Amino acid sequence: MTKEMPDRSRHPASYRDPSGFIFRLDGLCYRQVNEEYADDYRQLIDSGLYQALSSKNWLIGHSEVEQGPIGGPGHLKTLLPRQLPFISYPAEWSPDQLKDAALLTLGILRAAISRGMILKDASPTNIQFADGRPLFIDSLSFERYDASRPWVAYRQFCECFLYPLLLHHYHHQGVHKILAAYPEGIAASTTLPQLPLKSRLRPGIWLHVVLPARIRQGDGDAARLPPFDEKKLLLVVDNLESTIQKLRTDAPGEGSWRRYYSETILSSSYLAEKEKIFREMLGSIGFSSALDLGANDGHFSKILAERKALVIAADSDWACIGNLYRWCRDTGTSIYPLCIDIADPTPASGFGHAERSSFTERAESDLVIALALIHHLVLTRNIPFHMLAGYIARLTRAHLIVEFVAATDEKAILLTRNKPGFHKPYNANAFEQEFGRYFTIIRRTPIPGTERILYLMRKKEGQ
Amino acid sequence: MKGLLLYIDPGSGSYLVQVIIGAVLGALFYFKRFWLRVKTFFVRKKKGASTENDEGNA
Repeated sequence: MTKEMPDRSRHPASYRDPSGFIFRLDGLCYRQVNEEYADDYRQLIDSGLYQALSSKNWLIGHSEVEQGPIGGPGHLKTLLPRQLPFISYPAEWSPDQLKDAALLTLGILRAAISRGMILKDASPTNIQFADGRPLFIDSLSFERYDASRPWVAYRQFCECFLYPLLLHHYHHQGVHKILAAYPEGIAASTTLPQLPLKSRLRPGIWLHVVLPARIRQGDGDAARLPPFDEKKLLLVVDNLESTIQKLRTDAPGEGSWRRYYSETILSSSYLAEKEKIFREMLGSIGFSSALDLGANDGHFSKILAERKALVIAADSDWACIGNLYRWCRDTGTSIYPLCIDIADPTPASGFGHAERSSFTERAESDLVIALALIHHLVLTRNIPFHMLAGYIARLTRAHLIVEFVAATDEKAILLTRNKPGFHKPYNANAFEQEFGRYFTIIRRTPIPGTERILYLMRKKEGQ
Repeated sequence: MKGLLLYIDPGSGSYLVQVIIGAVLGALFYFKRFWLRVKTFFVRKKKGASTENDEGNA
């Protein structure tokens, strides 16, 4: 799904760690281990840590490629890790996803310490989601543990995991926008003024936010500090874990779309009719990947997943995505729930704009579905039909299932009641005409008892 | 020499923070253990006393 890179080239995101890097060859991702990582790699394997973590599906499994390709100089070994079909970024995760990623990182850290190793970094980008659950993917993040020293990645862990989760706990705004603004993590000194005063009474906050915010990075001479030991480190890890476990990831009130399907007066018969038509349309096409735009609680993503397709479920409401993520995690379903605003999707970012690819680049699928979405983008976000059709045509390789909601529909009236300034004409004819530039309409089925129409479309050649 | 191989900058401040947190949590840990012993001592004594009473009533 990602853009093809020239053969044997280093992955543009894999440049920081001198221990090795990811490269791609013939459509497969390999990891080169460099000679300078030899001792740490030996310890990872010989201590049984790799086996212990990979057998629990905490750490990505790999095979050593004996006669395999070499990515570049300094080569020690080439690993062929389990191939992941889709990569997401922390700036697209719900608070639940970040919390689970944080707890997995701490669980792995504790397992590593017990086998004489430690994590040398603690970035959430070390985590991906597979089969609905977090998976640690950086096999070179482990190094031999020197018990006299504290955890080198402590500050990074707090800035990338703990502080965004704390801000969400007190402000209920999700974590994705914080991590989009601060991809390297948000500093303690930036976090602290945003926390309520009463929060400082919590020991976890005092220790992990107030104290680090008061102590500057240059303070203290590392060489002169009193020696640390494993017992103290485990106390710090336990305390981080219990602090994070207590943080809320849900919403105190109900968000904008959280009960859209379960409580709207359109609900039961509308949903049943829509699902029936949707299933008929799905039955007539083939696809191996699907993108659900405006997925809400994932009702239709779950139907797509029944077809064993790779399903990406995007919605701007972090609480909806959080609910769907928890369901996927608990059932082991391979759906990728992402916090995405369709009117402002994740851009290509990082060094040279190449470290993290754009949502559009990653999410291109055989089928796109956009149910109960178009009217929001046109009436609320003022995106003209033809621009919307053009963008969706970039996201789908073949088919589109889209719902048109008439201006006289109860929900559309709510959106336009106090907002006369949207692009007109807004009606089914204009919709069909503009989408018709990019798509051929295969089926057009009104949903009985509503002012809504479901369309199955095929992308035109050359679009 | 290990520090030279690090590719993220931990900052000495981060070390100092952990030394303090470790010390605070360590002290709390011992205090909790001590408090638990004191509590267990009195609870056991009280429990022993109530068992005697129960037997007396029976």
